[in-house]
Amino acid sequence: MSKPEASPIRELDVRPMLRSGEEPFQAIMDAVDALAPGESLRLVAPFRPVPLFSVMANRGFSASDRPLDDGDWEVVFSPVAGMQADAGLATGSSPAAVFWGDPVEELDLVDLEPPEPMVRILETLESMQPGDVLFALLAREPVFLFPELAKRQHEWAGNFDASGSAYRLLVRHGGGRAHV
Amino acid sequence: MPMASLSRWTMSYFAAALAFLLAAEALAIAGIGYPAAGLAEPATLVLVHLVAIGWLSLAMAGALLQFVPVLVSRPLALPGLALPALFVLIAGLILLCAGFATLAGWIEAPLDLLPLGAGFLLAGFSLLGLMLVTTLLSARPITLFARFVLTGLACLAVTALSGATFTTLLSGRGGWLGTITLLPDGLPFHALLGLGGWLGLIAIGVSYRLFVMFMMAPEPPARRVRPVLLLASLGLALAFAGLAAPFAGIEPGAVWIAAALAVLILAGVFYGRDIHALYCTRRRKTLEINMLASIPAFVALGLGVALLPVAVLAHAGDGLIAALVFLIALGWLGGLTLAQLVKIVSFVTWLETYAPRLGRGPVPRVGDLVAMPRTGWWFLLYYGGIALAAAALAIETIDGFRATMALCLIGTAGLVAELIRIRRLSQIKAVDRPPAHERPRLLAARAEERRPVHVEAGSIAHPRA
Repeated sequence: MSKPEASPIRELDVRPMLRSGEEPFQAIMDAVDALAPGESLRLVAPFRPVPLFSVMANRGFSASDRPLDDGDWEVVFSPVAGMQADAGLATGSSPAAVFWGDPVEELDLVDLEPPEPMVRILETLESMQPGDVLFALLAREPVFLFPELAKRQHEWAGNFDASGSAYRLLVRHGGGRAHV
Repeated sequence: MPMASLSRWTMSYFAAALAFLLAAEALAIAGIGYPAAGLAEPATLVLVHLVAIGWLSLAMAGALLQFVPVLVSRPLALPGLALPALFVLIAGLILLCAGFATLAGWIEAPLDLLPLGAGFLLAGFSLLGLMLVTTLLSARPITLFARFVLTGLACLAVTALSGATFTTLLSGRGGWLGTITLLPDGLPFHALLGLGGWLGLIAIGVSYRLFVMFMMAPEPPARRVRPVLLLASLGLALAFAGLAAPFAGIEPGAVWIAAALAVLILAGVFYGRDIHALYCTRRRKTLEINMLASIPAFVALGLGVALLPVAVLAHAGDGLIAALVFLIALGWLGGLTLAQLVKIVSFVTWLETYAPRLGRGPVPRVGDLVAMPRTGWWFLLYYGGIALAAAALAIETIDGFRATMALCLIGTAGLVAELIRIRRLSQIKAVDRPPAHERPRLLAARAEERRPVHVEAGSIAHPRA
């Protein structure tokens, strides 16, 4: 794996926190939030933090890890060029969307008044299988839909088109269902 | 994440606001305040502040707590402050009104109640401002909509500070001002910043965004909306200058008020043109009750802004000016708020009740929660009362005003009952209602525990793999 060249790096050593029994997750997320655009994060941990890789991938960071001499691990999380800023995906979007398959359902919801687009998307998802992808065209960012998608474990990625008049949304079925 | 969730205490803000509106209408019917008393007399000030702070400001605050996060796609900052802010604001308003009651000689109490109440109000509005400003600034870039709200909040700050300064004068503790006279010349500017800036400008900014959504109309281009904000800001800056002028030894006169008003009115004209365009270009042909009931509010705004500068320049009597301000405050702002409350409360109640159930089977539509056409009749009573009351004020008939305010009270009480019925899902067939323990509560949205889906915090710290 190649390391990012000449990009600024911040460091976070979570070993002291773990030794004192503290939960380092929030500190890691805070450090990520504090990164300037293009900045990488060098994390030092007493183990190889595998689950963190997917969390960071969802935030647009690739991981390159190597064991240190004393059994600890060093991971450098670097922003993937084009993944967030250039792809222009809305915050919260899953960057993995570029690897999703073709949508099995396509909905044009531009002419529907809120909350009808949300109703249609959730109804359609209910008839789909885990892993299936849905594409929807909307007139606006469906902010009330996102918490509902999250609760049903669906992933999504979305952004406005170049003219800013339509919102394009991809949802990947995550296996969840209506929960009440 | 661009997630918006339900604002927990918005319904409590609305409930308090409506209670204050009913109280103000009842006091007006009882003959308290203008026209039975003078415009600047304590009895009138009680009524004015019940409407401006109790009704309009609390309703605006509740709506902003719900919609600012939605419109900037960011979660509400410091949501734990919402309920304390409400309590502090209510306490402040009651203390302030008790202070005015002392000033009027109705009760025996120290006049220090006035600055005390103002202090509470300042604190409450500061908490509110802190939540909203932090939320607005967390979204970059700062949108035009956010600028409307930020400018409005700046006006709120100046209104609250100037009001607090006035209370020190009224309570006889204005010595620190030396020879500077702020009253009564500062009053119109204080009212202009409160009604025009905090309540008016934000209502304008929010309505641009919400009406596009409610009527499925194309978004008006920024180059059309920006002049509205710029002109309004200029007018409000003039009002601010008028308030501050005595500190520079300048006495602002009627011309200064008229100048500020004229610029604000120009902004109102551009705004009216845009709203008219939104109605005309809407893709949703049938207007829902909230948009239908907003039309009389815009007529009231049109009448108010067209005639107010003429009345000020012509040194018309108190009656005409009071009638026009009444039209703007209770016709436009009050009517618009009531109309949109029906939509907001039904939408939020629907979301709270049915969003988790979507996909499992048929669910009612948002509009099904509202009893029609009955809700429309209440609006007719309310606006009929407003029109007649404004006419009664203009021709200065005290009994006429009191009688017509009874119509407003009946209309308002009817709408309050409808809003309660919406929260209780009364229009929904019993079989389509969720079990009782999952139904919306009247005053608070159900707090939801939300965990980000990709994150399993425990497994990161202690991976099994």
